[in-house]
Amino acid sequence: MTRRTMAVAFGLGLGLLTLGAAGACRGGGSAAPDGALTVAMMPKNKGNPYFVSCRQGAEEAAQQLGVKLLWDGPTETDPAKQNDVVEAWITRGVQAIAVSVENREAMSTVLRKARGKGIKVVTWDADADPDARDAFVNQATPAGIADVLLGHAARLSGPAGGEIGIITGSLTAANQNTWIAEMRKLLPTKYPTLTIVDIRPSDDDRKKAFDETQTLLRVHPKVKVIMAIASPAVPGAAEAVKQSGRKDVGVTGLGLPNASKPYLLDGVLDSAVLWNTKDLGYLTVQVATALAKGTPIVGTTQFPGGRLGQLEVRGDNVILGTPFTFTKANVGGFDF
Amino acid sequence: MTRARLATPELVLLVLLVGELVWFSLAATNFLTLDNGLEIVRASAEVGLLALALTPVILTGGIDLSCGALLGLSAVVFGAIWRDAGQPIAVAAAAALGVGLLGGAVNAWMVAGFGRPALIVTLGTASLFRGLAEGLTGGAVNYSGFPASFLHLGQGRVLGLPTQAWVLIAAAALIAVLVHAATIGRALRAIGYAPEGARFAGIPVGRRLALVYLLSGGAAGVAGLVYAARLGQARADAGTGFELSAITAVVLGGTSIFGGRGSVWGTMLGLVALGVLANGLRLADQPAELAGVLTGILLVVAIGVGARRGRA
Repeated sequence: MTRRTMAVAFGLGLGLLTLGAAGACRGGGSAAPDGALTVAMMPKNKGNPYFVSCRQGAEEAAQQLGVKLLWDGPTETDPAKQNDVVEAWITRGVQAIAVSVENREAMSTVLRKARGKGIKVVTWDADADPDARDAFVNQATPAGIADVLLGHAARLSGPAGGEIGIITGSLTAANQNTWIAEMRKLLPTKYPTLTIVDIRPSDDDRKKAFDETQTLLRVHPKVKVIMAIASPAVPGAAEAVKQSGRKDVGVTGLGLPNASKPYLLDGVLDSAVLWNTKDLGYLTVQVATALAKGTPIVGTTQFPGGRLGQLEVRGDNVILGTPFTFTKANVGGFDF
Repeated sequence: MTRARLATPELVLLVLLVGELVWFSLAATNFLTLDNGLEIVRASAEVGLLALALTPVILTGGIDLSCGALLGLSAVVFGAIWRDAGQPIAVAAAAALGVGLLGGAVNAWMVAGFGRPALIVTLGTASLFRGLAEGLTGGAVNYSGFPASFLHLGQGRVLGLPTQAWVLIAAAALIAVLVHAATIGRALRAIGYAPEGARFAGIPVGRRLALVYLLSGGAAGVAGLVYAARLGQARADAGTGFELSAITAVVLGGTSIFGGRGSVWGTMLGLVALGVLANGLRLADQPAELAGVLTGILLVVAIGVGARRGRA
């Protein structure tokens, strides 16, 4: 074989590889008739099963409404990458952008720019500055979540109360911090026997949640309840408590049913609080499409949420509903 | 001879770049517009600054893995001096540049002064700088709310170009003079080919090496400011992985990782090829992971062509 044929073969091989790669990675957008509205939707992290299940609902709504859905975002939690993708969507020209905001400051600037170009902006799951978006799809009010979580903590620690250790997402994650602030408001009035002694980050990583929970248990040996409030942190925290052999420590949190299931079934994890993530994705596309078609949200009291029925509108927030608690008894009926 | 000259890595890359441009003008929406071109420059500026300063480093056969972490540390120091210490923006910016130069000096001291392997030294300082940035902020503080005059550096335009494009052009000119026009450039190549030979030829190897690592640190400081201005925030995780993107741009541009051969022009081409790829894929509604795959293919093609000619 001469050098030239080798070079040609090499080039051909690479060409095929490129085509294969392009084929394998297809699926950034769903098919829709030409001229349809394009809704671009971004999770904080594409690999997180929480967002994977949101996407299922989003695709369902896009199909129902006949809009083209673009789904893209960082493969790891990275505020700079979220900005880059939104910048590209502005250049590409879409009718609506829906973002789960990892970092409020950085994203709000670019979302304002999108609004300036006439693109409708919706935030979902985690909010931006109010003037940076047209509406926020609120999965549950922070006060509602804080109350349900503290209710479980109070039940687990018994009438004497005790110490709570929190495993959060990243320490800068906006919605986790809002829930914690709401808990601090509720503690003195409704749950005076409970105290939050430590808040540790999991950075949305199960292994890190495991390590941080182990540390927390060593630093605060009197802790009675571990509360993991990011979905990948729940199994990590439960595993750490299980391995520590501490039967006196209860675990509750905010997590996906499938990841929580083994720990709920063997009793380490008492409860996992969440909303229906598919419905959240579904509603977000409904709201984004309505806005892109010129339907106002602000000034109304109800939003027709397709199969979800009439939903409450509070100011510029569309409320998904009340939080739901997965337990040993009911988790078998869910699969996401 | 003529044929060998035509097939330089820079030329191969230029062909690949033209291929990218043609493909994306067909497949992507609003790709071939002036605004989008400027947007690509804006998004590539920080990695570009690091890649430019890395070019002379790699020319000497060295490497700087700490520049991404140093970018993060500079950005965080900038935020801390401005907000926590209440100093004016100019003082904070000077401090950030100072941190960059200081970090570069640590690398220079270890590599040039003690002759330690650059790979190990900068792997260590990368961890050190990132750790300091995280320690300074507790991993949690996010500096933001910078004044509009500062944000202009990252978000505004001067004479039609994004502000940071001018910074990038100035850096490219400076490094190009250093590498191609000054006698220092020949010294750097000589060190890359054979450090011992260079020493015997009377080249002040230590001083030349110290200069390139110091420059790399300074560039990281500038890039930290540009990053903070573009995103309007400074957090300890700023610039994570940027060093690898910068090295990719340099190597893609035909600079030999073993030192001795390379050009600033090639680095700029490499940077544009990567920037266009990431931007074009997004505008073509392709998921971001594909950019990683195609970057890999681009590198393999560029290096494969180089290897066939026997001088990767």
